Amino acid sequence: MNALALDIPLLETERLRFRMVSKDDFEEERAFYATDRSKGVGGPLDARMVWRTLAFIMGHWVMHGYGLWGLEDKATGRYVGRAGFLNPHDWPEPEIAWTLMEHAEGKGLAFEAARAVRDFAYGTLGWTTAISLVKADNTRSAALAERLGCWRDSTFQHATEGEVPVWRHPGPEALA
Amino acid sequence: MTVELSGIPVLETERLILRGPNTHDEAGYVAFMMSERSQYVGGPQNRFKAWRTFAMEIGHWAVRGYGMWAVTMKGDDTCLGYVGCWNPGGWPEPELGWTLWPEAEGKSIGYEAALAARDYAYGTLGWKTAVSYIDFPNERSIALAKRMGCVLDEDAAWPGDTEEDRCAVYRHPAPEDL
Repeated sequence: MNALALDIPLLETERLRFRMVSKDDFEEERAFYATDRSKGVGGPLDARMVWRTLAFIMGHWVMHGYGLWGLEDKATGRYVGRAGFLNPHDWPEPEIAWTLMEHAEGKGLAFEAARAVRDFAYGTLGWTTAISLVKADNTRSAALAERLGCWRDSTFQHATEGEVPVWRHPGPEALA
Repeated sequence: MTVELSGIPVLETERLILRGPNTHDEAGYVAFMMSERSQYVGGPQNRFKAWRTFAMEIGHWAVRGYGMWAVTMKGDDTCLGYVGCWNPGGWPEPELGWTLWPEAEGKSIGYEAALAARDYAYGTLGWKTAVSYIDFPNERSIALAKRMGCVLDEDAAWPGDTEEDRCAVYRHPAPEDL
């Protein structure tokens, strides 16, 4: 739990509960960011930067009214990762993003989460299009983007991360 | 859709209102962090980094339940800087921090706001002690610390791992000495 509540919408899918990220997720995220698995999302990071990243995720909700949810396995209550929206100042446009902890991989959870996030974007937020930024060497995420019906749209030149492929999601009409 | 942090206390002093950070403060905050004047508080940063730092400032409240207030003059909600209680992960101990935008300098606004923040830290949060981490060349800030009765604590840890990160640690008078 956090010391001050952020009143964000809560979502549920078959296996996942979407809630605010919390300082209780810190240890899972720290373990994740200590490994090369975090390369796709700006890692590896030390504990201090992980703390700031979690705080950034919370502040992002206030800045935009949307952001990343913490994902919890409904059956076990364990934190399995995050999914939602990212749109920091340097992004080309709002993004649908997902990151799973290693122990949660290989079960289709990211697919389940990303679909719910996209439904929320089109249905509740009224977005008419969406992208996902997936670094070239992040083959797992690229495969998920394909499974979500995305196609390679363009390349985004990030100031520090270099070239990042942009995947475009099917629009709301195409999914209806 | 709007998402707000609820429960941030509002502090009032003779001339000032200290309120929670909000999106209206973004432009001033980012401009400050991009300017040379942010050199003692982790800047200058590019526009993107500064935006993230600002979001992190807001998130600090969510995690800790305290954080940096936006300082405003009574009757004008424009943010003039950030003052408050700062304790991100890995900080050696909780800090009282202050950063004023240039247009607010020279009016003792930082002093007035920092006193209110210290009262809150001791009175409401129950802190038994407090420090302020200040870069050695930051003379204005050191003068403010001294005006608040702080003394240099040469035995205290500083944020960071190396001698290169070292800054001045000013320790505030304890609650019982105020």
